[in-house]
Amino acid sequence: MWAKTITGNFANVIHGLNKNHLTDMVIHRSKRMILDTFGVGLLGTSTEVCQKVKQYSKIYSSDISSTIWGHFDFRLPPLYAAFVNGVAVHSMDFDDTWHPATHPSGAVLPAVMALSEAFPQKKKISGLDLLLAFNVGIEVQGRLLRFSSEARNIPKRFHPPTVVGTMGSAAACAKLLALNQMKCKNTLAIAASYAGAPLANAATQTKPLHIGNAAKHGLEAACLASQGLQGNNQILDMESGIGAFYTDYNPQTLPNLQSYPWLLDQQDVAIKRFPAHLGTHWVADAASSVRRKLVENSDISLILDKIEKVIVKVPEVKYVNRPSPNSEHEARHSFQFVACSALLDGSMSIQSFASESIHRPALQELLCKTQLVHPSDNKPSFESLYCEVTVVLWDGNAISDRCNTFYGHWRKPLTKQDLEKKFQFNASEVLPAEAIEGIIETVYNLEKVEDCSVLNMFLSGQSARVFPEKLHFTHSNS
Amino acid sequence: MVFLTLQRSQKFLGSSRQVHKTAAHVVARSAPEETVTSSFASFIHAVRPEHLSKIVRHRSKRMILDSIGVGLVGSTTHVFDIALKYCLELYSSVAVSNVYGKPGMKLSPTLAAFTNGVATHSMDFDDTWHPATHPSGAVLPALLAASQMLPPNSKPNGLDFLLAFNVGLEVQGRLMHFSTEAHNIPKRFHPPSVVGTMGSAAATAKLLSLSMTQCTHALGIAASLAGAPMANAATQAKPLHIGNATRLGFEAALLAARGMEANPFILDDISGCSGFSAFYSIYQPRPLSTPSEHHEFLLEKQDIAFKRFPAHLGMHWVVDAALSVRNLFINYAGSFSPSLIRTIVLKIPVSKYINRPFPNSEHEARHSFQFNACTALLDGEVGLSSFTESSIHRQELRELLHKVVVEHPEDNVANFDKMYGEVAVLLKSGDVLTGKCDTFYGHWRKPLSRESLLKKFRSNASHVLPEEKVETIISMVDNLENLSDSSHLACSL
Repeated sequence: MWAKTITGNFANVIHGLNKNHLTDMVIHRSKRMILDTFGVGLLGTSTEVCQKVKQYSKIYSSDISSTIWGHFDFRLPPLYAAFVNGVAVHSMDFDDTWHPATHPSGAVLPAVMALSEAFPQKKKISGLDLLLAFNVGIEVQGRLLRFSSEARNIPKRFHPPTVVGTMGSAAACAKLLALNQMKCKNTLAIAASYAGAPLANAATQTKPLHIGNAAKHGLEAACLASQGLQGNNQILDMESGIGAFYTDYNPQTLPNLQSYPWLLDQQDVAIKRFPAHLGTHWVADAASSVRRKLVENSDISLILDKIEKVIVKVPEVKYVNRPSPNSEHEARHSFQFVACSALLDGSMSIQSFASESIHRPALQELLCKTQLVHPSDNKPSFESLYCEVTVVLWDGNAISDRCNTFYGHWRKPLTKQDLEKKFQFNASEVLPAEAIEGIIETVYNLEKVEDCSVLNMFLSGQSARVFPEKLHFTHSNS
Repeated sequence: MVFLTLQRSQKFLGSSRQVHKTAAHVVARSAPEETVTSSFASFIHAVRPEHLSKIVRHRSKRMILDSIGVGLVGSTTHVFDIALKYCLELYSSVAVSNVYGKPGMKLSPTLAAFTNGVATHSMDFDDTWHPATHPSGAVLPALLAASQMLPPNSKPNGLDFLLAFNVGLEVQGRLMHFSTEAHNIPKRFHPPSVVGTMGSAAATAKLLSLSMTQCTHALGIAASLAGAPMANAATQAKPLHIGNATRLGFEAALLAARGMEANPFILDDISGCSGFSAFYSIYQPRPLSTPSEHHEFLLEKQDIAFKRFPAHLGMHWVVDAALSVRNLFINYAGSFSPSLIRTIVLKIPVSKYINRPFPNSEHEARHSFQFNACTALLDGEVGLSSFTESSIHRQELRELLHKVVVEHPEDNVANFDKMYGEVAVLLKSGDVLTGKCDTFYGHWRKPLSRESLLKKFRSNASHVLPEEKVETIISMVDNLENLSDSSHLACSL
């Protein structure tokens, strides 16, 4: 079977090779290798490093387990709870985005939540502990992103959550575990050896694993460091350390702890209003307002055949340039799709990416008329990009609008009401009303929460009525 | 000691184009607390809730709320279902896979693979190929664990196992040929963590008989799990590179088996958006010939090197050279007397992570030309016990290390096919004793004999297994093609 791509060709070969292909020489040599490997492995079991990983791996018994969001029917070991919940967070590309570009929260929150349930019974993790660890994880990501000028633009090579997200998760978990300075260093070193996934899996079903793995691997690094495992204590300094992921790398020390200047203080995140790549949010806002100008309140399908073409001016971002997406993952990474969808419907929602929505004829027709243009002043950076949508009619008229800052961007943050609305809508898919309200209330008062296991309880979907004593806030003056 | 380190490596640092100015400046400072890394560690460790400003609290709580919400709605997605099923099955209460040297103990398959992979690379005693990687450790543990995972009526036989093993090697070798960078001793990403993960994915996909589409996706998912920076070489974390390669490649195959999809062009050149090419600056992928009746495996043309002692492959050249110099010395002076030595000159290729004048840990010692040369000179051999704490820190060795200088002749390239090791001992009397090694015993050009290979295996295995088990393994591997159930191999460990 002939494959058109190298990847397909590799798969062909892996699949098509059979025993008859093995030559004597190959059999002979590989058996030598197998034997030698057994020997060195057996010997290696007595090493210190191996003792540590054995200890670590044994903790995955069913005694220690953490909550899977939306489920109280089963639990998973902390590492895999972090993984699964992390995948959930990024599964629809609906999670927050920062500048320089990454998805900061998804890499950190699932890890610290899972870890918070893994402490021995007596130990309570307070809301403030959680909040602090979370922010350590965010801060470390932001600082690392500033070590390379490449990071300021929308990525091309490595997907940032897999580089800095893993490090952030590691740092946050190290904090929650209250590791000493030496172990914090080793946490970072070990985490670096898990970091880095190529961008090509964006717009595929595997992309959510990038966040799931960042959370999981950061947690694992912290656990290994806690067991005493050591790595390179100059991992952030060296080009062959975290520098390996960048072509220009300029690490800097962090500011002094005296009145520490958090990056989140100076630079907020963007919160998405619909589940798609951040770049498409400018497109949606521009297209929606063009639609309003075109048809006021009437149905746009009435004038669809009057449209000659749709021109969308965006920066050049190859992995979001998809004229004809086929899956939900591709649709979430398509400027063209979101432009047409917003023109047709007036706004974007979760439903816009359902299979029926993606494949409807009116949308497909409009997509055929859509083209992208990349003006040289439109830089591929979430800080400065803009989008201009122009609908050209056959009669020669052209209606345009431009979006510089979409609602939800850090320059125009969502109101408290809209943030809550988004949360309520999302959570109501899987949680009962009391749990939804319980989470909102607990998070808003997080600094005062004595024991954040209540949060995990709500997340699992168990009703608050069952455990009223858990809803206990401290009355401090903080 | 730091100053001397500086002296020896200054010339080296200055001439290497790769060292970033900031990093070099940092290393030159004498107080280790001032590194960027330790500033991060200090921050993480010392920051307190009181440091959180109001805005930060406010914003981060918004982020937490939003994140939970998207996670909850995300739990209704298909990709979530796959991930969940995968985890549930992995962590069923019956752990099924054996751990090297621990007959009673079993772990879940991927963790068994991880643990056994770490064991394999824990002493840097495992095999090395050309282009450079440690191929077997990335593949074998996953296959062993997987063989125990399959239900009794579909266990792979020995030949299936051997085939899957070779698929894992072949894919690693082919991928390394996609970049000329791979031909030399690595500088940026540690090859086992790049190609090893892919090899493990391919091998387990083969053993699990995945469809062609699933094989494609296994490769795609694995790429997102590949790649660890070189800086952790010569540290205790290095063995994790092999542990994770074998485990994560295995996970990729398991996820693909459950229907997870990735980018089907992951190995191809995708403009503007890197796939596997992300790990190289020069990348020229080529298709594999589709196996008709005859497929030429790379292992056919290019054999492997087996190590005779547990240290980085590069050490093996200088050790053989040093041993011949020691013999000359003994002929010359009756015995090896360090006091007669003025200087020891090592002629080695340029490779920062194995140039260590004064290693402090076993991991550093295994990655030090200087240490291995001096140990060979002093003891007449290098073995397991050369890397214990007491051996590393003994007085006579440290004294000898002080006499070492390194040179990097231009013709000594950092490449396991072409490099050589030369040792010259300059005596106080003015005489010079030299030895050079082009090909050490165990290198692919001078492979270990069957007797030597078995000797190494018996010596290693007997540390943890009784004699009968040791011999059983030898005979099972010898007759692998005839084994009807390859999971017996895993059970015997």
